[in-house]
Amino acid sequence: MKEKNIIRLSILIFWTFFWGLSVVDKIIPDVHYLWVGKDFFALFIKFFGSLGLKNPIFATLALASITVLEVLNFVFYFLSLGSFFKSDEGLCEKWFFRAVFSSMTLFALFSIGDQVFGDRFQLLEHGLFWLVLIASWVGFKYVDETKTTRIFGSKGFKLAVVISLVITMCASVSIREFSSKTFSNVDTSVNGVEVVDGVYKFDFPFLADKLVWEKTVNEFKAEHPELVVNYIYTGPGELNSKKKTHMLLYVFTSKVESQEAQELKLE
Amino acid sequence: MSLTENKFSTNSVIRFSILAYWSIFWLFNVIDKLIGGSMFLWVGRDRFAQFQKFFASAGLDSPMIADAALIVAAALEVFACVFFSGALIHFLWKRTSDARSWFFVGIIFTLITFTVFSIGDHIFGDRFELLEHTLFWFITLCSWYTFNKLEVQGENNLHLSKGQKLSATIITLFLVCTTSFSIFNYNENFFHRRTSVLESVEVGKNLYKVSFPFLGGSKVFEGTIAKFKLEHPAKRIIQIYTVPTPLKLKKADSLIFYIVTEEKE
Repeated sequence: MKEKNIIRLSILIFWTFFWGLSVVDKIIPDVHYLWVGKDFFALFIKFFGSLGLKNPIFATLALASITVLEVLNFVFYFLSLGSFFKSDEGLCEKWFFRAVFSSMTLFALFSIGDQVFGDRFQLLEHGLFWLVLIASWVGFKYVDETKTTRIFGSKGFKLAVVISLVITMCASVSIREFSSKTFSNVDTSVNGVEVVDGVYKFDFPFLADKLVWEKTVNEFKAEHPELVVNYIYTGPGELNSKKKTHMLLYVFTSKVESQEAQELKLE
Repeated sequence: MSLTENKFSTNSVIRFSILAYWSIFWLFNVIDKLIGGSMFLWVGRDRFAQFQKFFASAGLDSPMIADAALIVAAALEVFACVFFSGALIHFLWKRTSDARSWFFVGIIFTLITFTVFSIGDHIFGDRFELLEHTLFWFITLCSWYTFNKLEVQGENNLHLSKGQKLSATIITLFLVCTTSFSIFNYNENFFHRRTSVLESVEVGKNLYKVSFPFLGGSKVFEGTIAKFKLEHPAKRIIQIYTVPTPLKLKKADSLIFYIVTEEKE
């Protein structure tokens, strides 16, 4: 295959999957087995709610309209990809132009929405996607006809494949070792350290989740029957030295008052 | 590489930069996979934990799935790294045509990697990573076009006059000295903020405010709580409230928290 066709195919595959999966995300609205996706309905409800339009019909209509455009985008890219495989260059380009134009329209609409709803981060996100679409069009349309020198089967190519395979094997061993060493963090409770009198610190690993939290707190309470947990404080990001890789938890405790002391107080 | 000796054209310097960038980019990604977790002089990213959490969120709890996915990703990255490095070697040996072919294979591996990652982002619903990977995909395409467009011999008149060199050196030295003095001075006078215990200010009945410096970490927090308990033996901490971002003065405020207390009986 010519270099130009490989680049064109890469562009078509990327955008076909992009819009195809965006449509699938609308068809599967919630979290399911093998699909997490994003809850756009909740997002739209919140956006319209912030405008004072609390009736869900507005969010539903907006989401349905957006989905129509996404479906259209997907169909255009899919047809362009089909024409590419049929080697019909002219038709492929025609469908691709329609696909890029409708995708750009959609991102322009998203950007208008972002301005209305005051979401500047999403505005940047959609602006960037819009720019990538223009670049994809320019790349698709004006990709060079130049043919690269054949390197497949050459001595250097074979050597590169061997080196790559060796490094991949080393990486695989490292990944397997690391995985077997750390996977236990998924359900192992974390040990607390008393950093201040009555205050215990728990350094949660990245793999830990809510179940580890529950197990940790329950085990701590079982190990320290003389203490009562007054307060649990999640250390904010500023306290972490390792970026995003762990979570700090502080448990504030006090001594359980003895039966005698309680009786005395009651008297 | 001396730019003033007219050995290299501007185009070849930019082409060299593109090859060096991608070789280093993938090399460090591969090293990150080889190391795994964090260690002395390397923090990196715990990709296993990230993949494990992604797959677990889709109902695939087995670590084998995360391992397999990570190995496939690592293989793509290794191949990209090797071909970009090969392109760089050919380029340095002035075998332009071979460099282009090797670079093209590297580009294809990179495009495949980011396309696969983007598909994953859709499935796992991570829109931020989707943007990140789409941007990298875009940068990959741009790198390819730029590399090809600069294949022609560019201008190589990079010579600077003695006066220009001298004035640039003087200005640079002056700025380097000023900034170095400022940085070392700050280190000398303010590094203690990394560990110094903070004062809590009473802002209401049983309500105390603690404002963190930017350098403060968990040790400062723990020391501050210890000091507070020592200074207020009659009080019991019932809550610590972290001021959320909307209540802060944009980037001027670091961490601020309030200690809510009650009298001990």
